[in-house]
Amino acid sequence: MRSVRVMFWVYLVLIFAGLAYAIALGLLEH
Amino acid sequence: MPRWLKDNGLSIGFGLIFLASLVGQAISGHGSVNHDAALHSGDPISFWHYVTSAVFWTDVMENWQSEYLQFTLYILATVWLLQRGSNESKQMDKAGGESDEDQLLGEHAKRNSPLWAKAGGWRTSIYSNSLVLVMGTIWLLSWLAQSITGRINYNSTQLDHHASPVSWLTYITTSDFWNRTLQNWQSEFLAVGSMAILTVYLRQRGSPESKPVGAPHSATGTEG
Repeated sequence: MRSVRVMFWVYLVLIFAGLAYAIALGLLEH
Repeated sequence: MPRWLKDNGLSIGFGLIFLASLVGQAISGHGSVNHDAALHSGDPISFWHYVTSAVFWTDVMENWQSEYLQFTLYILATVWLLQRGSNESKQMDKAGGESDEDQLLGEHAKRNSPLWAKAGGWRTSIYSNSLVLVMGTIWLLSWLAQSITGRINYNSTQLDHHASPVSWLTYITTSDFWNRTLQNWQSEFLAVGSMAILTVYLRQRGSPESKPVGAPHSATGTEG
């Protein structure tokens, strides 16, 4: 289960990093 | 095959085709933008400039938001809405949140149930809806990101044509924002509706998304 838990966090961290980047990019180009 | 690879086949497999598609989108999008620039006697932009631009990220975010809306709605709608004969539906007498016994909550929890399923109170309430909470949050944030980056592109086009830039509140009422949004939503909703009704009569041997090949058409909520 350890590798499954790692994949769970890899997905969540990458998704929220992508969202944060896109929002920051949009706000900074303002 | 190593154990970790077998244990994570779906998440690794789809993660890899996601990354390959994203790279492909970046390469083709960069080509498309520069082709457009050449047609208008503009200067080409570098690949790095393109993948860090609002143009690229609006395209990424508008597709993300529609997918996460699709799954969020699907998870929520299937609590209450049923489809007789569908593998995507619960059995016809199971509409709603179901009993604590059905959901293995509180005193019905098993020894290895998640801690927050046993805890009761607000922790069990939150955990009972955690999938929709996280998927819904990703949907709302990606839709927000689409609107913020979409406005940058919209205003850039406005300025190119000597028109006034618009505020974010104005942008989210524009036909550009809603056209980008709804063209994605319509396809997601059609695909979900199709899955719900096609699995009544059609099968895929071995897939948990299908009923067993020999299951009767009237069987609702079985797994293959």
